[in-house]
Amino acid sequence: MNKSSEKTKSTVTIDTSGYEVATQEIRSEAKRLLTEKIVDAVVGYQGGRRGGSAVPVVITDPDQAEKLVFSAACVNNLSIYLTKAKKEIRAKGKLAVVAKGCDLRALAGLMGESQFKREEVVIIGVTCAGVHRAGTQPGQPLTDSTIAKKCRECSVHIPEGSDLIVGKLPPLPNLSPTEKELMEKLDAMTPALRWEFWKEQFTRCIRCLACRQVCPFCYCEQCLCDRGRPQAVDTSPRPSGNMGWHIVRAMHLAGRCAGCAECERVCPMDIPLNLLNRKMAEELKELYHYEAGLKPVEKGPLTSYDEKDDQSFIK
Amino acid sequence: MALTITEENLRTLIDRLIKDGTRVIGPKRAGEMTIYEPLSRGAEFAPGPLPRRSAKEAFFPLSETILSFEKGKDGLKVDDVDTNAFPRTVLVGALPCDAAAPQVMDAVFSWDYKDEFYLERRRRTTIIGFSCTSADDSCFCTLVGLSPTATKGSDLFLTPLVGGGYSCQVVGDRGGELLAGYPELFTESATVTPVPPAEPEGTPVDLAKVKLWLEEHFEDEIWEEVADRCVGCGACAFLCPACHCFDIVDEGTEQKGSRRKNWDACAFSKFTNHASGHNPRDVQNKRYRNRFMHKFKYYDDKFGKTLCTGCGRCIRYCPVGIDIKGILEEIGSRF
Repeated sequence: MNKSSEKTKSTVTIDTSGYEVATQEIRSEAKRLLTEKIVDAVVGYQGGRRGGSAVPVVITDPDQAEKLVFSAACVNNLSIYLTKAKKEIRAKGKLAVVAKGCDLRALAGLMGESQFKREEVVIIGVTCAGVHRAGTQPGQPLTDSTIAKKCRECSVHIPEGSDLIVGKLPPLPNLSPTEKELMEKLDAMTPALRWEFWKEQFTRCIRCLACRQVCPFCYCEQCLCDRGRPQAVDTSPRPSGNMGWHIVRAMHLAGRCAGCAECERVCPMDIPLNLLNRKMAEELKELYHYEAGLKPVEKGPLTSYDEKDDQSFIK
Repeated sequence: MALTITEENLRTLIDRLIKDGTRVIGPKRAGEMTIYEPLSRGAEFAPGPLPRRSAKEAFFPLSETILSFEKGKDGLKVDDVDTNAFPRTVLVGALPCDAAAPQVMDAVFSWDYKDEFYLERRRRTTIIGFSCTSADDSCFCTLVGLSPTATKGSDLFLTPLVGGGYSCQVVGDRGGELLAGYPELFTESATVTPVPPAEPEGTPVDLAKVKLWLEEHFEDEIWEEVADRCVGCGACAFLCPACHCFDIVDEGTEQKGSRRKNWDACAFSKFTNHASGHNPRDVQNKRYRNRFMHKFKYYDDKFGKTLCTGCGRCIRYCPVGIDIKGILEEIGSRF
């Protein structure tokens, strides 16, 4: 029964031929940057053992530039490797990084937070039509059903502000905004029902901390939630500590999260974490007309005071 | 003649076991995934895809209270956990890569310190293993000495049959005892046609040679190549059927609280952080090297076993695509 319903559902395939162009351009640019010693290392993607897969790689040898690829499997936000938390990568010297439009927003945010200066990094921006959703078997075509949720509502296909923009954008189909729809469903719930929804989601959390570890903005050397003396949040993977952990994290990312949704992609327990970040971003936009990641900003609305700030919550 | 059980009778068996006071843990659907969880009835049993997390939590839960304390008028009252109260359990539907893992972990949990929490659950649990009929490109049980039809670790082993139902092989005493309790649910069939087992792809690797290679390559470029990209989360260890490290924490208040045993992971930067601030595994690739060494060298040195059953979960769910099967094959090509 399932099979027949799948067959009747029309599949929209997204043209990814531009990714082959991007791959060639990334290779030649990486080779040039390394040969001319403009950078010491390039953070990009290379093919993995599994057919059609792509994994992050750091190359330092111009001859290795041939390994670099860009495809729908290039899901990672590589900006994490530029933060001060990744000492071993930064130790390689001046870096170039391959970035999609969504990754670029994280790079802008990180510059605002003094993780690195613009002139310290060469950004190879990739024109992107979308990447795979979590759990997609590598090598699958990019379609309506294999594309990541964030890509369905993407507004940054072209990474403006990069040092070089590679690839070309195909005509893009109109995809239904599934995350927005889910968000609206949650917003329409009563607070009690919404609380139940999140309680149920967080019950599944196993505290593997993949959400934190892939987050470009979770670069703290000492995470508050790892502290033992005094313990701020229970570290046990139990409902109360899980709830504490995810709420603390959402609050700490409010006004900073640039929406790459990596936390949600990597969650092995399928918790829709980006909904929390998205909600925070919506509130910031509404209250402070602020959007994170558009340009490097030293102090966001939650780390600065302005007399015009909304104070209606003070009763 | 082969002993068989129908799909319906297997569900009835689960219902009867639950009714008779046995805790039954088996694959259960949860949203888009399947998880090994206590079943409340046979209808919930959902065999098929490899569950997202391994079955180790039947013996070694994600978090368990190992004692609780309370300050009262008469001083501090400490309550130990009564391991005798642990329920009799049947783990049903464990695929070979999950069913084989507890036997591997038994060694470490009954070594210099006897972990009664783990061991008591082991004593009280019967494992009904299932033959595996589908593999993907992350599966590699055949590279680590197992196979989709391996009965290792199972007490009873079921093989799906063409047309439905299962053939049933008694592997251990507990399997025989379980069978003897519910004989009417099983039948003898003259001919059976098993569903063909899965065929995981991969180049066979000599694990003894891998171990020798590791002994000589503690310092090697391979660790940076494969693991500089490691982000340091615990997804691999937490989904793994054989990873067994844990942390002990006290939680609650000064007046009342619990001591808990929680899963831990060697990829976490704090895992080897000393009180002095010194961390002998100061960068991420050294932490990943430890994971690999522990599975294919240290555990073998100490207990003569490989600490990996080839389930492939760490490959499928690694946020940055670290591929233990690929690394094994790569090392295999370097002998």
